Amino acid sequence: MLQTFKDIIDILSVPTISFTFLTVAFPFIFPPSDWFEKVHRKLGIWRLWTKPGFYGGMIAITGFFVIGYFDPNFHITLTKADNFPIVLMVYSMFITIWWSMYQAYENDARLEKGLKPMEYNDPDDKVLVWPDLVYIEFIALILFMVFLIVWSILVAAPLEEPANPASTPNPSKAPWYFLGLQEMLVYFDPWIAGIVFPMFIIIGMMAIPYMDVNKKGDGYYSFKERRIGMFIFMYGWLVLWLFLIVIGTFFRGPNWNFFGPFEFWDPHKVVPLNNVNLSEYVWVKLLGQGMPANILLRESIGFLALVGYMGFLPILLAKTWLKNYFQEIGPVRYTFLMMFGLSMLALPIKMYMRWLFNLKYIIAIPEWFFNI
Amino acid sequence: MTNEDKKIIPAASVNPEEMDKNGLGRRGFFRWITVGWIAFSAATGGFFTLIIRFLFPNVLFEPPQTFKAGFPNDYASNTVDTRYKKKFNVWMVRDEGSIFALSTVCTHLGCTPNWLGTENKFKCPCHGSGFRMTGINFEGPAPRPLERFKISIATDGKILVDKTKSFKWEKGEWEQSESFLKV
Amino acid sequence: MEKNKNKKSFLERMGESQVWKSIIRSGVPRSRRQRMQAVLGSVFLHLHPARLPKHAVKVGYTWCMGGLSFFLFVVLTITGILLMFYYRPTVEYAYTDIIDMAEQVPLGIMRELHRWGAHAMVLTVWLHMLRVFMTGSYKPPREFNWGVGVLLMTLTMFLSFTGYLLPWDQLAIWAITVGTNMARAHPFIGHEGPGASLLAIGDINLVHAGSDVRFALLGGRFVGEASLLRFYVLHCIGVPFIVMILMAVHFWRIRKDGGISGPL
Ligand code: HEM
Ligand code: FES
Repeated sequence: MLQTFKDIIDILSVPTISFTFLTVAFPFIFPPSDWFEKVHRKLGIWRLWTKPGFYGGMIAITGFFVIGYFDPNFHITLTKADNFPIVLMVYSMFITIWWSMYQAYENDARLEKGLKPMEYNDPDDKVLVWPDLVYIEFIALILFMVFLIVWSILVAAPLEEPANPASTPNPSKAPWYFLGLQEMLVYFDPWIAGIVFPMFIIIGMMAIPYMDVNKKGDGYYSFKERRIGMFIFMYGWLVLWLFLIVIGTFFRGPNWNFFGPFEFWDPHKVVPLNNVNLSEYVWVKLLGQGMPANILLRESIGFLALVGYMGFLPILLAKTWLKNYFQEIGPVRYTFLMMFGLSMLALPIKMYMRWLFNLKYIIAIPEWFFNI
Repeated sequence: MTNEDKKIIPAASVNPEEMDKNGLGRRGFFRWITVGWIAFSAATGGFFTLIIRFLFPNVLFEPPQTFKAGFPNDYASNTVDTRYKKKFNVWMVRDEGSIFALSTVCTHLGCTPNWLGTENKFKCPCHGSGFRMTGINFEGPAPRPLERFKISIATDGKILVDKTKSFKWEKGEWEQSESFLKV
Repeated sequence: MEKNKNKKSFLERMGESQVWKSIIRSGVPRSRRQRMQAVLGSVFLHLHPARLPKHAVKVGYTWCMGGLSFFLFVVLTITGILLMFYYRPTVEYAYTDIIDMAEQVPLGIMRELHRWGAHAMVLTVWLHMLRVFMTGSYKPPREFNWGVGVLLMTLTMFLSFTGYLLPWDQLAIWAITVGTNMARAHPFIGHEGPGASLLAIGDINLVHAGSDVRFALLGGRFVGEASLLRFYVLHCIGVPFIVMILMAVHFWRIRKDGGISGPL
C-alpha cells in the first residue's frame, strides 16, 4: 500500500510530469482571466486559499516529509544538514503565499462591496513606535535568535572531505539557493544559463515597477485587481525558481540523473541522452544531406527561429492579441516586457524541446562558443 | 547701470554677450568645460584601469604544467589510464593507433568526470555530460569535446605531456601531429 | 500617607538621574510626548518615524521579514568577526582551522550560528521580497527602493556563496569551480564566451585564460590559494561594505517614500 503510493509519487515527480502538471494547473490556481477564474471557482480550487486549504496543504507537505523521513532512500537526502533550509523554504513559502492569498481574497471581496481593504485605518489614528513597534521587533528578534541557537545546537554545520581537485563528488550540487540556476544549466549553455539569464532576472526584477503600470493593489493584499502581473510573477517565482530548487535538491542524484524521492540513488543508472542540434535535425535528418561548411548557413534556421521568437513574435502580438495592451503601455515598456517575458518563457520551452525531441541547441556554433 | 544695480544682479545671470568683454564668455566657458571633462574622464579611467590591472598579477605560482607519463608500451590498446588524473588532471588514453593526453576538465563547467569502464564513457557528475573514450561529447550539456594536450616523446623515450598547449576538436586541431602519438 | 504620595518609584528616580538624562534626554518614556521623543532622539530608533499607521505594526502585514533580514545581517557580522579570530584563509590551514573551531574552542557553535544564519538570511530576504510583491509595495513611489532591494538580494546570495568556499572542503571547491566557470563563459570578457575571440590583435588573443573575468575572480587559472584569499576578502569586507551602503539607502528611502506602504 505504502509502497505503491511511493511508486506513484516517484513516477509523478519526474520533471516531465510534475513540471507539466504544475504549468497546466497554474492558471487555475492563480487565475489570470475571467475564464480561468470561473473554472477556479467551479472546481473548488479557490478553497486552497481558505482555512481548510491551509490545513490540507500543511498536512500534505508534512505527510510527504514524514513518509520521506522513514523511507530509507529519501531519508538520506532529507536529513542532510544543508537540505534543512529547503524544508524550511517549502513550509515558509507555502505559509506566506497562503496567507497572502487568504488576505487577498478577503480584500477582493471587500473591494467588490465597495469597502476599503482591511489594512485601511483612519490616517489620524496612528500608533506610537515606542512601545507598539519596538516591542514587536524586540519579541521577533528574541524568538528568532532562540530558533537560530536551537537550530545551531541540534544540527552541526556540515563539513565534507578536504578539497580534492581530482575527484568531483557525485552528484555535485551548488548551494541550495542556486539550484534553480544549476537546473537551467542542464538545458542552456553556460553563457546563457550562467550569465544572460541571471542578469535578465536581476534587471527584469528591478524593472517590474516600471513595467507594471497597474496602480491598483498598492499597500494591501489583493489578487483580482492585479491578477495578470501576479500570475506572471508567481509562475516565475514558484515554478521556474522554487520548484526547480526542489527538483535540484530532492530529485537529482548521481550523474545528475533524475531520481524519484523514494528511489535508490544508483550511480550506474543509465539514462540515454543523445542530444541533437537543430541544424543537424534539419540538414541531416530532414533534408538528408551533409552539414553545410559555412557556419552561418548551417545555423541559419536557428537564427531565423530566434529572430522570429524574440523579434517577430512581439510585433505580431502587438498587432493582434495584445493590441490594446500595447497601446496602453507604449512601445518602450512593451519592448522590455516582451524581452524579459519571452526570455523567461524560453526556459520551459527549451525544457520541453529537450524532453520531446532531445534538442540540444537551437543555434550551435561551438567554434565561437556561441550556443543557444 | 548704476553701482547699485551691479550689486544686486548675480554674476551668473548677466547676459553672456556682455560678459565676453571682461570675463569668461560662452566660448571660453565651453573650452574650459571640455578640458575639465577630459581631465575628469582621464583621471577616472586611469583609476579604474589601475584597479582592474591590479587584479592580474605578473607572476603566477601554479603547479608545473609538464610531466612525464611513462613509456608508450605501458598503455594497453583501447584503455583509459587514470594514473595521472589526480596529480595532473590528465587521462592517458590509447585507442587503436594512437596515444593522447585528455584533459579531465569537463568542457561544460569544469567538474571532473569519472571514467565508467563498463559503459565505456566519461560521465560528469555535475550536470550529466557524457564523453566517449576519444573525448567526443555525446550527451548532456557539454558544448564540445574534451581538450587534448600536447604530447611528445622525450629524449629518454618517455612520454612528455605539455599542458600549456591544448588542442580543440572543434577547431580541427586534433589532426595536428603534436596532439597524439602514433603507436 | 503623605510620605508615600511623594515617594517616587525607582524608575522615576532613575529617569531623573544625571546619567540617564544625559543618555535619553526625554526621561523615562511614559507620556505620549516623551515616547515620541525617545524615538526621535535615538540614533538607532530614529530609523523609524515616531508614529505609524496601525496596519504597519501588524506582523500579518510585513511578516517582520525586512527587520529580521537586517537583524540576521548584524548577527552574521558579529559571528563572522569572531570566526575570523581562528580561521586562516590558506589552502594549508583553512580546513583544519574549521575542524579546530568546532573541537578546540569552547561553546563551539559559532560556526553553526554563522552558517545557519546565512541560510536563514537568504530565506528571510526572499520572504521579504515576496511580501513586498504581494502587497504591491513596489509601486510608485517605491520603485527605486524595490530596485535597491533586488540588488540587496543578489548581494545576500553572493555573500552566502563566497562564504561557501572558505571551509575548503569538497562541497566548497566544486561549488566554486562550477560557479566561477560560468564567468569563463561571459560574452566578450570570458575566454570561452561568445565574442571573446573577436578581441584579438592579429594572432594574439586579448582574452585568454590568464586575462578574463574568471581570472580576476580567482586570482589564477584554477581554484587555488589565490582564489581562497580573494573570496575571503570579498566575503569579509568587499561585499558587506557594499551591502551596508545599500542598506543605508534602503532604510532612508523607506522613510522618504512615505514610510511603510498602505492603502489610501
Ligand atoms: C538585505 C536585505 C534587506 C533588508 C535588510 C531589508 C530591510 C527592509 C526593512 C526593515 C523594511 C521595512 C518593512 C518591512 O520590514 O517589511 C523594508 C521595506 C522594503 N523593502 Fe527591503 N530589505 C531587504 C531586501 C529587499 C528586497 C530583496 C526587496 C525587493 C526586491 C526589498 C524591497 C523593499 C521595499 C519596496 C520596501 C518598502 C515596503 C513598504 O513600504 O511596504 N527589500 N526593507
Ligand atoms: S561540469 Fe560537467 S556537466 Fe556540467
